[in-house]
Amino acid sequence: MGHLCRPWTGAPFLGRGRPLTAPAAAGPLVRLLGDKLGDATSHLWTDEDTVEVQVPGDRIVETLRTLRDDPEFAFFFQADAAAVDYGVGEHFEVVYHLHSDRHPTWLRIRVPVDRQTPVTQTVTGLWEGAMFHEREMYDMMGIVFEGNRDLRRIYMSPDYRSFPQRKDFLLPDDAADSPAAGNMPLERPETWDLTRLEDAAAHRDEPGGPV
Amino acid sequence: MTTTKKPASRRRAPPEDEAALRATAEGRIRDPLELEEAAALDGPEPGVVSTRPEFYGFDIVPPPDRPPQTEREREVYTLGDGEMLVNMGPQHPSTHGVMRIVLKVRGEVVIDLDPVLGYLHRGIEKLCENATYTTVMTYVDPMDYMSAMHNEHAPALAFEKLYGIKAPRRAEYIRALVVELNRVFSHGLMMGFLALDLGGLTPILYGFINRDQVVDLLSAISGQRMLFNFFRVGGVNFDVNDEFLSRLGTWRAGVLDTIEMNEKLLTENEIFGARTKGMGVLTGQQAIDLGVTGPNLRASGVPFDVRKAHPYPPYPELEFDVITQQGGDTYARYMQRVAELKQSIHLIDQIVDRMPHGPVQAQVPGIIRPKPGRAYAAVESPRGLYSVYAISDGGPNPYRFRMRDPSFISLQAVPKLMPGRLVADTMAVMASFDPVMGGVDK
Repeated sequence: MGHLCRPWTGAPFLGRGRPLTAPAAAGPLVRLLGDKLGDATSHLWTDEDTVEVQVPGDRIVETLRTLRDDPEFAFFFQADAAAVDYGVGEHFEVVYHLHSDRHPTWLRIRVPVDRQTPVTQTVTGLWEGAMFHEREMYDMMGIVFEGNRDLRRIYMSPDYRSFPQRKDFLLPDDAADSPAAGNMPLERPETWDLTRLEDAAAHRDEPGGPV
Repeated sequence: MTTTKKPASRRRAPPEDEAALRATAEGRIRDPLELEEAAALDGPEPGVVSTRPEFYGFDIVPPPDRPPQTEREREVYTLGDGEMLVNMGPQHPSTHGVMRIVLKVRGEVVIDLDPVLGYLHRGIEKLCENATYTTVMTYVDPMDYMSAMHNEHAPALAFEKLYGIKAPRRAEYIRALVVELNRVFSHGLMMGFLALDLGGLTPILYGFINRDQVVDLLSAISGQRMLFNFFRVGGVNFDVNDEFLSRLGTWRAGVLDTIEMNEKLLTENEIFGARTKGMGVLTGQQAIDLGVTGPNLRASGVPFDVRKAHPYPPYPELEFDVITQQGGDTYARYMQRVAELKQSIHLIDQIVDRMPHGPVQAQVPGIIRPKPGRAYAAVESPRGLYSVYAISDGGPNPYRFRMRDPSFISLQAVPKLMPGRLVADTMAVMASFDPVMGGVDK
């Protein structure tokens, strides 16, 4: 499997330089976004069934509220909220997918989040159902949602310290063929306890220890 | 028929001792020495005052010994007067998998509850990010194991969008055929499981008659009973074969009777109605806010169906309506399942009638490297909106592979509905949302 894998250094080219192609179905929504939310949105891009915009992190709640409550948008339903890690030295991204009965396409909203201080605003005030999404993003990526009143780990145990969906969390097995294979599968380098790495045999049975 | 007289010795003999008689009649006042002796025998240790009432047959959990992390956790784990925490799960039969619910109860009444997830967490998203696009199909199968075909459908659509190809028309029809069969399997079992959680054993047996026939059908076309690995990027693995078609005919001839047997047992059943009608009412607005989708949302009167709202082939070519119920309670969610089950059989008839000829697999290499880009694809699974968001960076495996599982999100509705209800009704409401823990925990 070695030839299939490559080291996960950052992926800076993702999400840049996309040309705007607006199929007929997405046209009204594209115009409406330009008219009403032109100052909050950027990087507009569409494909055959999605319209995609980027919104800065400090304006996400007001933008989503406009999209939900404005009868011309009427994006009443939040279909998905996901976090993406673009690698060490890059940024995180929180991605919302919204549905409206007035528009035939999905609306995808990308919110960049700083990777060093991963803090953004919660949207649980708009959709209560975002709670489990945000708890999952916190658990898996370590993104902190300000204002969320139940930001606990949801899959991992409460004393777990790593964020497994990050790109610098490497799988310990051969399939990943990662530089850390067989050593320390976990977490952020600044939290690594290097003494445990040196004396792997003594710490082998500890939770979170070397595999 | 002979009647036997009760023997006289069964009756309690009157106490002969006069002192004992007086003690029973007017209550004895014990002297302090006797009290101490009694305490030494079976009472609590001196100095320890237990404020919690003792219940037998439940597992009483103490609050966690660490400080609460969030406001909500403090709210759940702070006990008021006469309240206690009771564990349900992680291996309780009505949790539909391995899930733990911490119930805060006062007597028999639920005050609050906190679902504890993660017992089945396998990190499927991470595994898929380290697998090639084709091998992703093998990882998503055991996620929501009651609807494995739907689990494969959304990644196949997303990867095709990334790669810029379309499946042949016959492959699209075969896909729709197997996912509708899978929906029949899932909804049919849900009817049985709901009855099982209310204490009725028979419907699950009838449900399994239908389910085993469908599993045999799907195994005839894909070669696997439950983890099918049937979908491919650009088509499906196999065309329909003779065995599948003959089994389909047999199944179709008898399936409505099997469902009717179950319906006769449940729909008009007074006990079933008393336990489910008006129980756990979820309004449409609440359901939208909580992200509840699928039959659970439509049972609250919101006509949102991904097959209509964001149609994927071949559903634009098929004739069906979005069914809704107005009740929003457990009974409405059950009725919604029954209606959709019949609708799926109707769709299967249409698909078999209209299935075009042609290839079932586009010419796609085993290892694909889509251009950098993003794609989102959603399908209507038996539990609601199941979607995949895939990002390609030009390599042979997805850079990011995100799955939105409907039962994970729908589970948030249960803590909203349960306060003020009885402990036994928790199971009915849970079962009516039909969560599958393999999907919840990913």
